[in-house]
Amino acid sequence: MYKKQLGWVLAVGATIVIAACSEKTEAGQGCPLLCPQTAVTLADTTIEASVVSDTTVTGLPPIGNETYTMLASHGDTLDTRVIIRYDTIQQTYSKSNIDSTIVKIDTAQLVAPLVLADSLRRPTVPVTIEAYNVDTTATDTVSSILATLFRPNRLIGSKTFAPESLKDTLRIPISTDTVLDRVKNGTRLRVGLRVVSAKSVDLRFGSSQSATPITLRIKASLDTAATAVSVSPLSQTPKDQSFLSGPLADYTIVVKGSSGNVPTILGVGGVPSRRVFMRFNVPSKIIDSTTVVRASLLLTQVPNRRLSPKESVFVYPLAVLAGPAVTDVASSLQFLGATGQFGLDSLSLAPGDSGVRSFEIVGLVRTWKGQPTTVSPRTIALRSGAEGSLPAEIDFFSTRAALAAVRPRLRITFVPQTSYGIP
Amino acid sequence: MMTRRTNRRARGWATRSRMLVVVPALAVPAFIAGAQSNLSSQGFGFPAGQFSTRAHGTGGAIAEMDPFSPVNPATIGAFNSRILFFQMEPEYRSVSTATGTERTTTARYPVVFGAMPVGNNVVMSLSASSLLDRTSTTSFNTTQIINGGQSVPMTTTFRINGGIEDVRLAAAWTPQPWLRVGAGLHGITGNNLVTVTQSFADSTQFAAFTQQRVLGYHGTAGSLGVQLLTSQVVASASGRLGGSLRLSSEDTLLATANVPSQFGASIAYVGIANTAISVRTSHENWSALGGLGTQGLVGVDAWDTSVGGDFAGPKIGDRIVYLRTGYRHRTLPFQASTHTVTENSFSAGTGTSFANGRVLTDLALIRASRSADLPATEHAWTLSFGISVRP
Repeated sequence: MYKKQLGWVLAVGATIVIAACSEKTEAGQGCPLLCPQTAVTLADTTIEASVVSDTTVTGLPPIGNETYTMLASHGDTLDTRVIIRYDTIQQTYSKSNIDSTIVKIDTAQLVAPLVLADSLRRPTVPVTIEAYNVDTTATDTVSSILATLFRPNRLIGSKTFAPESLKDTLRIPISTDTVLDRVKNGTRLRVGLRVVSAKSVDLRFGSSQSATPITLRIKASLDTAATAVSVSPLSQTPKDQSFLSGPLADYTIVVKGSSGNVPTILGVGGVPSRRVFMRFNVPSKIIDSTTVVRASLLLTQVPNRRLSPKESVFVYPLAVLAGPAVTDVASSLQFLGATGQFGLDSLSLAPGDSGVRSFEIVGLVRTWKGQPTTVSPRTIALRSGAEGSLPAEIDFFSTRAALAAVRPRLRITFVPQTSYGIP
Repeated sequence: MMTRRTNRRARGWATRSRMLVVVPALAVPAFIAGAQSNLSSQGFGFPAGQFSTRAHGTGGAIAEMDPFSPVNPATIGAFNSRILFFQMEPEYRSVSTATGTERTTTARYPVVFGAMPVGNNVVMSLSASSLLDRTSTTSFNTTQIINGGQSVPMTTTFRINGGIEDVRLAAAWTPQPWLRVGAGLHGITGNNLVTVTQSFADSTQFAAFTQQRVLGYHGTAGSLGVQLLTSQVVASASGRLGGSLRLSSEDTLLATANVPSQFGASIAYVGIANTAISVRTSHENWSALGGLGTQGLVGVDAWDTSVGGDFAGPKIGDRIVYLRTGYRHRTLPFQASTHTVTENSFSAGTGTSFANGRVLTDLALIRASRSADLPATEHAWTLSFGISVRP
């Protein structure tokens, strides 16, 4: 009897306990009438001397590491070529599951996956893509040497495309004799592409870095049962240095129109592509002792009307992941965080525009809190979203600009330490 | 003073129960610091009353003579065996203003109590009760002016958990059958976990943030009580003398004040078997807490008066079912928008024993109306359930 009664009481008690545990405390309609106002402050500060160093580094990403290769022609302003190396070419083909040695070639063509630009950037006039044999024993990554190899006696193929035919993949026939010679002798084939057009043109192709390179397609037999041979780019030079030779399977060279470096200007993108490195000095009383709610890197854009002034590209602020042990800025700029990491957002900018641009970097600045600069350097990089694939170049005034008002600065909005919570 | 992010629970076991800066910084109001959005838990919080469920059933009228209410230390002399008591008390509150009515639910565990006789007519007890409960969450939208005419809409949420507790070690002596005297030592403790979250409509430029801060309370007090018992009347009186009270954050002392002193007295007619009809009044100088808060905080010295009865009702088997009712009027400790808040409440309750008297259960229902000279009213239903066990 005693235990039974105790059981009932405990059961009822437990039910009420559980019911009593649920809470809903959210309210706010009574404000401000019932909410005593105690002002705390949100402070807004612009620190002009916050950028202690900034620099532009040309040639990033390094040659061969571009996600896309860029074939461009802008008259006398810009001329870029694409080099593809096929240092090993298959010597057999398959027919009805039987391998046969290639002794003749019916067709040989370059299959180039075209990365479609938006409709504003597409060519409006026919473009001709010429393929040249650019194999040489000379230093073959130097554009001045390679440019001399684009001559008529080395032309191995060309094709003119109507604007409407520039869709997803271009097929450029090349000399079957040249290819057969390489196949039979087991030697390498290195092709240089050049674009010719009556108007300025920019074409982007996939590269080995994006796993969609320009391949060599060989049809060794007219028999429909014969499988075409597809040869992917491969570089075997420099010898025994795979970390260097690998990326050189395909790359872009600038024959004419390299972007110049001016100390008063920070350049993002362009040809060869460039990145910007910036180092900040933000007082620890702000970083460590407050809560930052907004951090805007304010840069004044300088109009650059040399190339595609109206074609917008994205400029990304990125975290520099290299620590202070990496003192070479160019090396640091190769260790960057992913786009969007720390909530860093891009800006779409046209090279020909001007004005103050605000990059919101609060997510990155917050990571500096409580961290010494030896662990979390106060640095940031700017990179073009079309680096290596479009010539657009976005320029900003640097800290060396004559006019102080246009130099980079950092605007920080923060919540100071307050004695909140005391009624 | 440093704020910090922490997941540490601020509620204890009884807490819920109861360079070159070239542009000068532009200061603008950003958020509020103590928003409760109701009438009852302004300032340092709502006084749950330190009443047992049984006392609540009578509107608090028998609190001075109720041994389960940690008010009068002399009352524990009534215990002739070891006993444990626990109480839970959810409150369902609605606040009506010109902008509408909001409903909230707050869970409280306002009294935990244990007592045991130690011989020579002396009984000792240890209890923890809620002195002020500050638990609340307030969200509101404002537009922040940053500079140069720039503004951003934002939402601020203030979440406050915890309160100030009264931990009492008490002893009572019964030298004569008609006299009980008692004394208590009080440790005033507890904390508020204050969480401020602010988010912005423009999330591309502004990043939301959360700050947390723990406000700790530490103080002391002493109390004395007396009961005179006759066959017809029980007269009780008690007083608590507040010592110093410190408010700190982390290891930084923010402010000092005094624990509110309190005295109360009641007289009850007990001429009917198992029945008590009582009237009680008490006074508490909450203004002593004023120095603990900001300049705008106004503590109000408050009277708390009630009348009620605890009646022997019908018998079920061999157990008596008690029926209780009462009315209470009191002033709440802190003003809302410079206006004093008063509370009127009606209560009803019941209680009985189980397991050969080893288990006592009580249930009370309280309907409270709170008002001030403001276009806002507050109503609350409070369900109180108490259980005591004699091991």
